[in-house]
This record gives sequence, structure tokens and C-alpha cells, in this order.
Amino acid sequence: MYEPDPAAQFIHQVSAGYSLPQTLPEYTFDETPLRLTDRRGRGGGYGGLGGPGAGGAAGRAAAGSLLYSPIFSTPASANNAAVGPASSAAGHFNFHTTSATTASALTSSVPATTHHRSSPPHFAIGKMEPTPEDLVAQEAAAREYQPQLEGPFVGEKTPSTAIANEYAKADPIYIQKTAVLPQTYSHYRPIQGDGNCGWRAIAFGYFETLVNGGNKDQIVAERLRLEGLNSYIETQGGHSSYVYTDFVEETLFLLDRVAALIGNHEQAMAEVYSSFNDPEIANAIMYHFRLLASSYLKGNQGSYAAFVTHEGGVDGYCSSTLERHHVEIDQIGLLLLVNVLLKPVGFVLQVAYLDRSPGSEVNSYRFPEEARNQHPSTLGPMIHLLYRPDHYDLLYPAEPEPIPEPVTVQVHRVSFSPSYDIASAPVPMHSYGINIGALAMLPGFGAPPPGLAPTLLDTSPSPLSAYSPSPTSTWMTSPFAEPPQQASPVSVPPVPVPMSMPIHTAPAVAPAPPLQTHPLRFSEYCQLPEYVENDTWREPSFQTSTFRNSHFNVAHYNNPNFQPEEYRPETEDYDAPQRGSGKKRASV
Amino acid sequence: MSSSKRITKELTDCTTTPPPNISITLPSDSNISLWHITLSAPAESVYYPGKFGIIVQFPLEYPFKPPQITFATRIYHPNITNETNGSICLSLLKTDNWKPSTKIVTVLEAIRQLLVEPQPDDPLETRIAEQYKNERKEFEKEARAYVSKYAKGQVKFNVVDGAGAAGEGQQAGRAS
Repeated sequence: MYEPDPAAQFIHQVSAGYSLPQTLPEYTFDETPLRLTDRRGRGGGYGGLGGPGAGGAAGRAAAGSLLYSPIFSTPASANNAAVGPASSAAGHFNFHTTSATTASALTSSVPATTHHRSSPPHFAIGKMEPTPEDLVAQEAAAREYQPQLEGPFVGEKTPSTAIANEYAKADPIYIQKTAVLPQTYSHYRPIQGDGNCGWRAIAFGYFETLVNGGNKDQIVAERLRLEGLNSYIETQGGHSSYVYTDFVEETLFLLDRVAALIGNHEQAMAEVYSSFNDPEIANAIMYHFRLLASSYLKGNQGSYAAFVTHEGGVDGYCSSTLERHHVEIDQIGLLLLVNVLLKPVGFVLQVAYLDRSPGSEVNSYRFPEEARNQHPSTLGPMIHLLYRPDHYDLLYPAEPEPIPEPVTVQVHRVSFSPSYDIASAPVPMHSYGINIGALAMLPGFGAPPPGLAPTLLDTSPSPLSAYSPSPTSTWMTSPFAEPPQQASPVSVPPVPVPMSMPIHTAPAVAPAPPLQTHPLRFSEYCQLPEYVENDTWREPSFQTSTFRNSHFNVAHYNNPNFQPEEYRPETEDYDAPQRGSGKKRASV
Repeated sequence: MSSSKRITKELTDCTTTPPPNISITLPSDSNISLWHITLSAPAESVYYPGKFGIIVQFPLEYPFKPPQITFATRIYHPNITNETNGSICLSLLKTDNWKPSTKIVTVLEAIRQLLVEPQPDDPLETRIAEQYKNERKEFEKEARAYVSKYAKGQVKFNVVDGAGAAGEGQQAGRAS
């Protein structure tokens, strides 16, 4: 039984300004002070900020960054703030009291992805020094940590907005990158994180691409090719035929079954899906591909040996990494598998790396390398992967919507080329046959026609970072220029991007240019639904003098989202220059 | 079931070209995933001329999980626990190191080699490992004593399906 230090509670209560329940929570602890692990999965993880559980959320945040690990997810109620004695006491004395600090502390965490098997839970240390008790508790928790391996090996196609939701409370970089992800990739397919996910994802993608190709001859040819590679596994890889045939057989059998069903796309996909969720078949296929990769490495030592840093050389690397079940694919393995499996059949692998590198969208790389500088239309079918540190999932690009213009496909594909120039974006737009200039001249015309909008968004090259104002068509760039924000209540129908994050879809109305060019600002409030809901300040059509001089105007210093307006000479004709921080004399 | 397919092939491989000093029997015709192996200690090892019973149990997930291999005959060895069901410390067999492509012949040869060359730096029995390193004569004497006590004559396997339960039973019987 642990009695919370009354002083600590007092300080917590007073300085934080949160109202804690009248009855202080009773802490009961077993030998292990942290009882958080058994609560994982419930509650909002890092959530609950600003809601009824604000006190508890702040307390947990204060309890230090050691709680950021997924295993420490706690429920959002203050009464359940099961924080260990050491960490809670330390936390209460160490944290600042504004919710801004809390929010920033929270945003530096990654969301609770529980996909990773190979990585033990790691603890971000740095905001405060953990006490020895914390370390003991952490170690105990780490020992007991079981990666969440529920669900199928290969999941169903899921709208990729789920990824954005997963990261909604994470680091701004993640928020930004995942927020735009659904525009490029409408769906993803979760792969179980059992250490095989990279192999599994590529193998599944290989079969799926074959099914999508719908070409029986191609599948039969692939079967022959893979069977022919057996001798390669034997001579180069040095594996006895009786060892590999069991694995190879499953691959060939599945190819046979798919070839037989090729007329019926749905059935063929169902066959691939169920086979990949059968551990015996899936393990065998993945291991077949592992053997192919390792044999390919052994057979091409001249090209790859220099990249193998394993102390055991190529052989050591093969036996310790490539040929071991549950050992994740690495960059060399990826290259090898692409070269031995995908490249000969003309498939291209594109990996989107979701990490904390600077930028507004995920970095993507294509394999094989030759494909990087080529136009996507000249490339074969693509398999898209989403890489998050230590984990791969499959991605599916957004289909170009109603208008089957080849141009839209190009725009979308090129979107990941680093050298892509966004200024050329308007060009394909003209191919819709709409006079953009004329539309832009319509007063109050804020959004493209509803049918057109999703297409534009889906093919949006670089919605956040690469905005360059287009003099002729302000309406068109506006969905890209501004981050998804509050939908305007009086506007034409908002752009229907399926995004349920607190930050909303693009503002559709933009008669007043100044607001459009505001950079994305992730204030702590933008994650709080109730703030966002009341958030009418962005609506520029309220620009009456009464409104402007009220605290509902964001330029008013009493506005909680106070944001000084920038002086813009071009808007002077209807907007008087401002004096001071948003405190303006009426100009109308 | 794919694991039995593979086991059958491994068995064929082991019986067509039997590794030296090793013979394999199946205690039950209906259960191919339990092997009894008789290992005659190589002449160059201190355990010569002992004969050791080794039980190989293949898990359902084989070959994606390693087989469980235990010594049914007691042996005085740094890398094998000093009990009736001696676990073997062989990096090849650890779950973290196991490769589905590893052949059983390779494993058996590694075990035989372990008798010739114990690896005292990676011990299961630290006391024996220390003795092996520092008092080799004492070690050899003790090892030979174990051979004459346990590893002479007909090799006995615990004829119960579960290897672990059988081992405990026999140990309890010995103690009484």
C-alpha cells in the first residue's frame, strides 16, 4: 500500500491548476510498483489531454518520458492514474504547469504502435533522470513486455487514414507526414510485426501484383522461373534439395492455385490472402524467398559483399540474418530480394519511409535503383511498402478518381520524386478541360467542384511543404497550401478527404488570400477537439469590423489562438494596416 | 503436415548416409517426431567408449523452431546439464540462432564434436567448466567415472512420450 506524498499532491494540485478529485486516488502496489502494463491497450495512451481526465493526463505526462513506451499506456481517468510512487513523486516536482508544456512533452513521443517484435520497448530518457526504482520497474516491464502479435499475419486492406489517426497525438513531423499520407496512399494493409514483416509484405505484394496483372502466362512463367532457381539455391546457396523443396513447393503450389483462379480476381485474391494467413504456407514461402535472397548474395558476392558489415562476412550474414526466421529484412536483404524476385518479372518496389526526418511527407525510394530516375509510366507494376522503424506494411496508392486521365496518374506517381517541381502542378489541371482562370475569378468561389476536389487532393504532389502561390489560380492551390484545418461553416461543400484527425480537412473558402499562406502551425490547441470545434476564427468571411474588433478574431490579442496578422500591401485596399499586435482601429 | 514431411526427409538423410558413431531409432512407428539416437563417443574424446542416449523431439513448428535435444544418459560435461535429461548448450539449437535450413545431420555432428571439444567458455555447468579449464586431470577422471557408471552397456531411453516428465520420474526413482 502506497500513501501518496501529501506535499506532492498539494503541489500538483495547486501549481498545475487542475482539479483533482476530492478523494485522492489510493495507490496500491504490488512488488512491482508499475502496474501500468496490465492496463495497456485501454484508455487513450497519451490521450485525454484537456478532457475530463486532464488532471490525470498531466500527471502522467509529468511522470516523465519513461512513460512514452507503448507498454505504459494508461487509462485517461485521473482516478486511474496508476503512476508508480517514485515516478509520480518525481514527476510532481519536476513538471511545468502549463498545458502547453504538457502538450509539447506529449508530442515528442511516438504513438503506441505495437507492431515491433524485434525492438524491445525503449525509454526516452532526457527530460528527467529516472530514479533507480524507475529503472528497476522499467526493466521488469521490459522483461514482461510481450509484443502484440494479435490479428492476422496479413490484414485486410484498410483506409490509410487509420495510420494518421494512430499518429494524431504524436510528434508534429509524424502528424504532418501521416496527415498527407492518405492523399497519396488511400489504403494500407497491416502486416503482423513478428520479425518477418518485410519479407511477408514483399511476398504478399508479389503475389498480389501477379493477381492484379491477371496474366496467366506471366504466372506460369514465374512458376517456371522460380522452379528453375532451385538449382541456384543448391549450387550458390549450398542448401540440400530436400531442405528447400518443402519451402519452394508452397510457393509453386500457390502460384498454381492463383493461375487456376486467374479469371476471378476476387477468388484469386482470397486464395492469396488465406494462404498468407496460414502459418505453414506463409512461413514456407517467406523462407523460400529468404533462401533466394541469401543464395543470390552468395552468387553475387562481387556486387554485394562490400555492403555486408557482418563480422562473419557473407556466410555469417546469411546464416545470422537472411536465413533465420523472425529476423527482419534489412536494406541489403531488401535489395537482394528485389533483384532476385521482383526485378526479373518487372515489378518495382517503392518504400515510403515514415520517420522523424524533416519534411512534410514521407520519403520514398524505389527499388531497383534504375527505376528511380525513370518515369513511373515507363515502369512495371509497383509494390508499395510503408516503413516505420522496424516495421513494414503494404500501401496502396490512391486510385485516380472518376476522370481516367493518364495525366493524373503521372502526377500522383511523380509525387515522390524529390526533384518534382510543384509549379508544374497546374498544367495537368488544365487537362480537365476546366478554365481555371475563369473559375478563380468567380467571387466567393472557394473550392473546386465536389467531383473534382478529391481528384485534385489525391493527386496532390506536396500539399504542405512545396506550396508556391500561383498567381492565376488561387483556389486551386488553397487546398494544398493550407494544412487540413477547420472546415468552413458557410462554404461550399468541404473537400471530402476522409480524415478524422482533430485537424480537419482543407478550408474550402479562401476569398482572403492572407490566411491561405499561413504556414502550418501546430499549436497545442489544434489537437484538442473541443478547441477545434469552436474554432471559427479562421473563417475569413466574418471580416466585418465588429468581428475584427472582437476577441473572436484571431488577430485580437484576447483570442486564445492569437496570431498577429501580417501586413500585406496587396490587401490594403480593403484592410487597413494594423497597428500593434492585432489591436486595430476600425478600418471600414 | 509439412513438419512431418521435413522430418521424414531428415530421417532418410540420416539413415542413408549415417554420420559416424551415430545410430537412429524411432521409439514409435506412429510418431516420427521423436527420435532416439545412440551416440558412441569418438575415440579421441574422454568419453570413449561410452554410449550415450540422445532424445530428439521435433516441435510442431519444425523446421521453423529448433528440435529439442536432450541427453538421456548422464554425462559429465561443461555444456550439458548434469542430470538425467541433460540439456545441451549448443548455439546452433538456440531459438535465436536456429535456421530452418539447418539439417539434423549437422546438429548431430555438432553434438558429437562437443564431446571431443567441450566449450568451457559457454557453459551450462560452470563448476565442471572451471574444472575442465583448470584441473583437466580431475575433470577427465570424473568424466570417465560417469562413463563407467552410466554410459556402459545398453543405452536406455525413457520410454514415456514426454521426455521431460520421463526424466524427472527416473531421477526420482534413482533417489529413493
